[in-house]
Amino acid sequence: MMISIQNVYKTYNQGLTNEVAALRDINLDVQRNEVICLKGPSGSGKSTLLSIIGCVFPPTSGAAQVAGKKLSRLPDRFLTIHRREYIGFIFQQFNLLPQLTVLDNVMLPLMVFGYPPEIRCEKAVALLERLGVEHRRHFVVSQISGGELQRVAIARALINDPPIILADEPTAHLDQKLSERFLSFMEEFKQEGKTIVMTSHDPLVVEHPCVDRVVEMMDGRTRSSCS
Amino acid sequence: MNTGLEKQRNILDYGLMSLWRRKTKNLSVLLVFALVIFLMSSFQFLTGALTDVAQQSLRLAPEITVQKMVAGRQEQIPISYGDKLQEIFGIRRVEPRVWGYHFSTTTGGNITMLGVSSFDPRLETALLHGRLPSGSSAGEVVLGQGVVRDLDLKGRRKFSFFRPELTQKTFTVTGEFKPESELLTADLMVMSIADSRDFFHISETYATDLLVTVANPAEIETIARKIAELLPDTRVVTRPQILKTYNAVFGWRSGFGSVCLLTGLAAFIILAWDKASGMTPEEKREIGILKLLGWQTSDVLAVRFYESFAVSFLALLLGCTLGYVHIAFFDGALFRPVMFGWSVITPHLHLVPVVRFGDVLLVICFTVLPYLAVTIIPAWRAASVPPDSAMR
Repeated sequence: MMISIQNVYKTYNQGLTNEVAALRDINLDVQRNEVICLKGPSGSGKSTLLSIIGCVFPPTSGAAQVAGKKLSRLPDRFLTIHRREYIGFIFQQFNLLPQLTVLDNVMLPLMVFGYPPEIRCEKAVALLERLGVEHRRHFVVSQISGGELQRVAIARALINDPPIILADEPTAHLDQKLSERFLSFMEEFKQEGKTIVMTSHDPLVVEHPCVDRVVEMMDGRTRSSCS
Repeated sequence: MNTGLEKQRNILDYGLMSLWRRKTKNLSVLLVFALVIFLMSSFQFLTGALTDVAQQSLRLAPEITVQKMVAGRQEQIPISYGDKLQEIFGIRRVEPRVWGYHFSTTTGGNITMLGVSSFDPRLETALLHGRLPSGSSAGEVVLGQGVVRDLDLKGRRKFSFFRPELTQKTFTVTGEFKPESELLTADLMVMSIADSRDFFHISETYATDLLVTVANPAEIETIARKIAELLPDTRVVTRPQILKTYNAVFGWRSGFGSVCLLTGLAAFIILAWDKASGMTPEEKREIGILKLLGWQTSDVLAVRFYESFAVSFLALLLGCTLGYVHIAFFDGALFRPVMFGWSVITPHLHLVPVVRFGDVLLVICFTVLPYLAVTIIPAWRAASVPPDSAMR
């Protein structure tokens, strides 16, 4: 099992007047090499669940295990180490640093692994070539198009070769052609053995053949169904 | 290569890249920071230079000076007190000295007219040119540079002053003191004791004070205590005490100036907090992204530290260099009114800055450390929260 979520609750601002129960009794198992899509309206808890799987923060209660490591009560330092070794993030807003070049953005995760510049560069260029944006490597990211931004974001997520890819509303800002291109990349990564968890309510994603399972979410709870 | 070392190099690269990205902001902070350090270091170097000059000049000062006090004021001391002092073991010589002030209408300050019974041959080394006066009452004098400027003799060697009862006395210049000794000699006119007695009308049985030379300089304080016990109506001043007084005066003046500068420093800290703490929403978001990509809180802080260290190190280097240049080439022109603010002929010293480790450390403590704190603490706060909150 690559991801195991058992009876997980997540409450923001616990004990305060603005307390919000984002997740309630979530149970979810994801097999190695499985692609699942978390579907649901805004505020249903998709991004919170993705954050727990992505080791951004631990759950308030319940058991979460990712790539063999129990996350509950794991200090921030160890969550970070686990995140950088096992997780690649693709964000809805891409979250690239706008003043850096494409190459510098892609190399960012490798810096804290202690790779020397030439190896970082070599790995990043190889990925950018594969994703078809190598010709833009010296461009500042604010100078490239939305589709290219997404491919740069994918390259950055994959630079550490993580076994798990998490994508939060990855096609929200893409047109149909670019969305299909993105999904074809996901299909490639699945064939390479990656485990992928995406959040989306885009039918193109939900109904794509590479998606093994769709998990519907509503008010912080899950309801699984086969794709 | 060592992975940890390579990681630190990468983080340093990122920090420098980040500095370059915000170059306009960082350059403005650097310039203001360097200005603050320049002002503080100038004060420190100037104080060091003046203390050093005082130390050098006081080498030739009397070891012990004995003055008679009546009702808390200095009075003329009977020469017979000198005979009593000879009873104390360890005293090599006692000499009378007669001195007083002559008001200079040109500068509005006082010229110190000093008459001694014999001249220490070492005093020759303090002369720029000429020779020491003879012991007669021929009116021969050696002048400090301040008096030379004041009298404006234009090559003449003779000049006259009015005695207190308005008769004239003519003096002949036989030499001038070196500019390096101006801290002590600027307003000084040295002559024989006979000339001094003649000018001030002081009888031969009295002097202004007595100068005591001791056999063993290590015994100065002990002998001074013995003199005070033997002659309870006198004030006994030792050379180390004069030096301490100079240090205290310069230290006090420097401290006063530094306190005034603290306002500027506080303003700078507020500016640094506001501008250099780097906690704009974009920068918080950057920290959030870095953390999501696997950067530890300590890595984010290291970036911030390298950035702040680079800025503060450059500012320290620039500020201290400017401070040094200000003292060495402009003789501390900005702070001369604060440091030389006494009501006598102002010395025109050429100062050699003295850079002491303690002074530089003090500047670092008052500038670099607060700057590091105000830039790193907000980054630590931002990096300590879960990365998603920084990105919302």
